Amino acid sequence: MKLLTKSAFYYLPLSLLVMVAGGALLYLTIKKVIYKQMDDSLITEKTIIEDQIKQSDTIPDFEAALGHQIEVKLMNYHLRNYQAIKDTDIYDPKTDSFMPCRYIFYSGNTNQKKGFVITIFRTIREKNELLKDIGIYLFFMFFSLLLISILINYLIARNLWRPFYDSVKIAGRFDIQSDTPLNLPETDINEFNQLNEIFDNMTRKMRNDYLNLKEFSENASHEIQTPLAVIRSKTDLLMQQKNLKKDSINLVKSINEATTRLLKLNQGLLLISKIENQVFHEKKLVSLKRIVENGLENYKEIMELKKMRISVDGKDDASVEMNEVLAEVLISNLLSNAVRFNIDGGFIKCHIDNMFLTLTNTGLPMTIKPEDLFKRFHKNSENPQSVGLGLSIVRKIAESYGMLITYTCKDNLHELKLRYR
Amino acid sequence: MIVEDDRSLSRSIYDYLKMEGHICEVALTFTDATQKVAINKYDCIILDIGLPDGTGLDLIREMKANRLTGGILILSAKSSLDDKLVGLNIGADDYLTKPFHFAELNARINSIYRRNNFLGLNEITFNEIRINTEDNQVYVNEKLLILTKKEYDLLLFFMANRNRIITKESIVEHLWGDNVILTDSFDFVYTHVKNLRKKIVAAEGSNYIKCIYGFGYKFIDI
Repeated sequence: MKLLTKSAFYYLPLSLLVMVAGGALLYLTIKKVIYKQMDDSLITEKTIIEDQIKQSDTIPDFEAALGHQIEVKLMNYHLRNYQAIKDTDIYDPKTDSFMPCRYIFYSGNTNQKKGFVITIFRTIREKNELLKDIGIYLFFMFFSLLLISILINYLIARNLWRPFYDSVKIAGRFDIQSDTPLNLPETDINEFNQLNEIFDNMTRKMRNDYLNLKEFSENASHEIQTPLAVIRSKTDLLMQQKNLKKDSINLVKSINEATTRLLKLNQGLLLISKIENQVFHEKKLVSLKRIVENGLENYKEIMELKKMRISVDGKDDASVEMNEVLAEVLISNLLSNAVRFNIDGGFIKCHIDNMFLTLTNTGLPMTIKPEDLFKRFHKNSENPQSVGLGLSIVRKIAESYGMLITYTCKDNLHELKLRYR
Repeated sequence: MIVEDDRSLSRSIYDYLKMEGHICEVALTFTDATQKVAINKYDCIILDIGLPDGTGLDLIREMKANRLTGGILILSAKSSLDDKLVGLNIGADDYLTKPFHFAELNARINSIYRRNNFLGLNEITFNEIRINTEDNQVYVNEKLLILTKKEYDLLLFFMANRNRIITKESIVEHLWGDNVILTDSFDFVYTHVKNLRKKIVAAEGSNYIKCIYGFGYKFIDI
């Protein structure tokens, strides 16, 4: 859930509660005031009539205003003093309906000890309507107040958090391989500035570490080349010596094999680190079909020997913009695998269309998991000659050009699919 | 002349080339090399690019500016394409990446030597085998021998390294190049050698290719 939604989520019920309670309270207060006023005027009216009765001992002459109904009765006996104000409905023959009324009932005695009863009805329809109007008014007012406050809250929060979102967006684009620093925007909020500073320092350190590591691995593999060349040259010389004993031959042979292995490993790693360092930056449009056909030329004799059938079909103009050397390495590593792990009398099929280069070959069942296939140093244990870098180089090259390579195996048919576009 | 700052490596190259019958001198620094080039004339210079007091590329430029002749074979730990292109553009004859096989170095030197001395040396003859390096034809007993490209390269490689043990690894690298660093199945080599041997014997040539236990092959005169 987004922060803004979340804060609105908390804000909404809380403000709703406050507003409902406040609205109800206000409504009730207004209602109470109105009733109080009504009651007060009823009492005043009653008092006037009462005074008149007390003075004259007769029913005074009065005219009932509209919506008023006053009843005064004189008794010949003494009455208890009593006063009550209540709500009731009285029948209005004019409209043939009941009308909500407030009435005062008062009983008292004149100075001559004669009882009298005053009942004053007063319609409260208008007052009720007024109250209803006020209620509706209040409701709409509070409702719009709620909406506006949520909106304002949202806008303010969005504005306040904008630097944060900006920083997150920029930090998300962070690429350890690119040289450009993060450049997080300065804000006037201390907390965000602090966060940006931490981001900046972290990424700078990360990049430095990465560069150091990269430099180290490249330098290391590079510097290893010369001593390796010395070892190789010495073993070469040693080999040429006549009358070597059989024991010595075996020793030299082992040294030679180990050196070769080390060399290949080193070359492979060097190649990978070069791809990572984008040493191969020159690009040109290379025709995939041509590269495949050239690559196959290298294995022509071997394929003839293994009686393998080969077919290449695809568009001549299927081409991709990349470094030619890398394209050759990529294809030749794929082909080399397809040839090496093939069976006698098997086949290799290469299909190139507008998006995919598909290489299908027969072979033995896979002994390693397909997802491990592209990992470094993951190799088929049956082949001790292999250093296990071929397919990881393939993947590295593919990755550096945003290509996707997938492997599937079905019924001993191995398929490598390269999405080059 | 060998221009290489690593003492041990230059010593090895020196020993090997001496064994091959070449007369060599060693220069360990750029200054040393420039002086030597100015005084003597060399058939071939094996040149390391990264020298402590200069780059080998400058030496090439200097030689070309002074119109000094002699084949130049660049030797470099860098296999970056740029260096290679620059080197070849300014007048080097060939480029070899460290670490290399002596057999490969030897073959390259021979080919530079052949190219720079036009004394009818575009033909290599060995007993009944004759190779014309200009039109890439091989004759055994004056009969044309049809070889595949790889077999032809292999035969030339053997010829350049007669009486020397050639390892399978060096053959792989020679035939398939540096880029195919993972073509490590030696069956490939075995097959090619076998086919080549078969073809020569079928053309009534002798079997000169001897298998050396543990190492590889040797092309010897019987």
